Amino acid sequence: MSLSVAEILEALPRADDPDERGLSAEATRALFEKLSKRPMPTGSLHRLWNLGDVHARVGIAYLFYWIRSWFKSTDARQQDLVETNLRAALKLLEMMGYLRGAVMKMGQTLANLKDIAPDEFTDVLEKLHFEAPAMHYSLIREQLCSELGGDPEELFDEFETEAFAAASLGQVHRARLKTGERVAIKVQYPGIGRTIRADLRNLTPLLLPARLTKDWENVKAQVDEVRRSLERETDYEDEARLLEKARDLFTEDDNILVPRVYREFSTARVLTMQFVGGVHIHDFLSLNPSQEARNQAAELMMRAWYRLLYKGRMEYIDWHPGNFLFQDGKLGLIDMGGVWCLNDAAFDTMLRADHAMQTGDRNDISDFVRHWCEIGDDPSDQERLLKSVEYCEHVWKARIQPGVMDFGDAEDLRKTIDLLAELTKKRYTRGRSASPLVTRWELAYRTMLYRLGAKIDVHPIRDEEVKVTC
Amino acid sequence: MPRITEEAKQATRKRILDTALSLFKSKGFEQATTRDIANEAGIAAGTLFNYFPAKEDIVMALVTVALARAAEEFAKQKREGASLEEDLFLNVSTGLRRLKPYRRYVGPVLETTLSPMVASASNEQAQAIRVAHLERVQEAISSHGQSLATWTIAMQLYWTLYTGVLAFWVNDSSPKQEDTLAMLDQSISMFVSWLKERGNG
Ligand SMILES: Nc1ncnc2c1ncn2[C@@H]1O[C@H](COP(=O)(O)OP(=O)(O)OP(=O)(O)O)[C@@H](O)[C@H]1O
Repeated sequence: MSLSVAEILEALPRADDPDERGLSAEATRALFEKLSKRPMPTGSLHRLWNLGDVHARVGIAYLFYWIRSWFKSTDARQQDLVETNLRAALKLLEMMGYLRGAVMKMGQTLANLKDIAPDEFTDVLEKLHFEAPAMHYSLIREQLCSELGGDPEELFDEFETEAFAAASLGQVHRARLKTGERVAIKVQYPGIGRTIRADLRNLTPLLLPARLTKDWENVKAQVDEVRRSLERETDYEDEARLLEKARDLFTEDDNILVPRVYREFSTARVLTMQFVGGVHIHDFLSLNPSQEARNQAAELMMRAWYRLLYKGRMEYIDWHPGNFLFQDGKLGLIDMGGVWCLNDAAFDTMLRADHAMQTGDRNDISDFVRHWCEIGDDPSDQERLLKSVEYCEHVWKARIQPGVMDFGDAEDLRKTIDLLAELTKKRYTRGRSASPLVTRWELAYRTMLYRLGAKIDVHPIRDEEVKVTC
Repeated sequence: MPRITEEAKQATRKRILDTALSLFKSKGFEQATTRDIANEAGIAAGTLFNYFPAKEDIVMALVTVALARAAEEFAKQKREGASLEEDLFLNVSTGLRRLKPYRRYVGPVLETTLSPMVASASNEQAQAIRVAHLERVQEAISSHGQSLATWTIAMQLYWTLYTGVLAFWVNDSSPKQEDTLAMLDQSISMFVSWLKERGNG
């Protein structure tokens, strides 16, 4: 049974509908019910839709409602364009529906946007992440046995049969090694990695209708980049390598911990790591931490980001709440799945960006934007240049302006989103293949610090970290 | 002719099975003839025939032994408080583990004996395997409080799924047969949701 995109679009609230929410929730719920009955290659989506049942469905309805409201426009022609894009996006979502992780990721980024998105929406999405359904123990045991060559009872001193956290492609179990160390074991749902890689390979032909447009090379490059980054997340060996690389960049004094990997108990589908204590941002905030504690948490996050970038030449893209653990003034950084390793050229581009932020000079920013977006002297590109410069000046404010920045300013964040939505709408975000990753990062990092209500000065952190490199 | 004791018989039987297994492994199931097996086991071809009329019967005997051990493991590994899905999964996965050494040549035998297309009485051993397996399924279902108003249909459906998974597994070329695990998980959740729907409706 195939669900037509027209049906999904039908369920979306119309911009002129006076009672948008009710309609959307009800109609979309019905649609997702239908969607949940479709056969799935590995069943994850099926699980997702079954999991929070009503909650999840309502959450998804809000998701569409909200995305759509971003693109509300008085210009009918633009509205059409947006709908075309949305249609394409939904088509993809439908085809790759099992990608619980991708859906969750999108949700997690959005879930940061407290106050801006409806509360119900953010709450639901947050729960979605932390309450994802389980592979039962019999399945886990088989998967571990075929990956590690033994049953959990034999391999470990203790193994908790219930997962304590959900991961994009599987789940995480607590255990204790025979040598006594407490570990977290991330186990992939069998076959899901291969399924995703195969599907991703089929993505490009799907974009063929866009081939004749002026932006084709751009679109293709961007899709390829996203594909590579998603593909990498299916390989825990790759993640293990990055964790080790990242771990070496920090010392105990930094108060930043990247877990150690236990290679003897890790494969492409199973990742055994040192257990990192602490709580996620939601629980951290629910303890009503002082401004000072919140600032400190934000500073550690920024420090980790700069350290990875300058010393490690890795850009930590994946700023979603599940990846950070807070405890007693320490920060745990547990997920290297979404790290972008910079080659010389990409690092050089980062240095150019840094230079522009450092001087704050409009000409420098303009130069950078021309370089990044590959904008030439064509007069038709002038508006794109101006808009992109405006966007940079806004999102780089913490660097361009001296002193402390109030990341908790909702108006400021809203403006970031509006600018980004405008750039996307006008298709100005084309450019480097890494653009979607960088924009995803910008939004995610800003919203994270926004939730912390951080008031921090990033300049000294940046200065120290640049020095470390020299 | 001296009377052959039951023990001697069992020992010969075991020797035949062991020999057959190692020959299947070294030569391949197709290549290994009953003559080869008899030679290697040091018995006359006629004697072998008395024990196992055909090569397929040897495989069936291996399967029977393997599944009997799997059943013991199932009983041992069953967890207090496990879901119905988990119990049903374990019932199959313990079997797959034990059958693993024979995966390459068990296919044709399963097809001719265990397939839902085969009349159940055609092979005694296969029938015994089927009955024992379904008894465990039935027990699991009842212990989870699911009613069995349509037992025959339920079991036919279950058996079709189960043998479908076995057939899939035999030909599964994915790394470490990981796709079979997903397939099994899917099939079982499908079966259980069907059961529950029935139970409620
Ligand atoms: N080493 C660890 N110590 C403590 N908790 C961990 C550890 N690794 C993972 N977790 C828990 O498991 C959750 C998911 O892990 P992780 O983020 O690595 O998975 P993932 O598959 O990369 O998921 P996603 O891509 O959604 O981030 C984390 O949010 C955290 O709660």
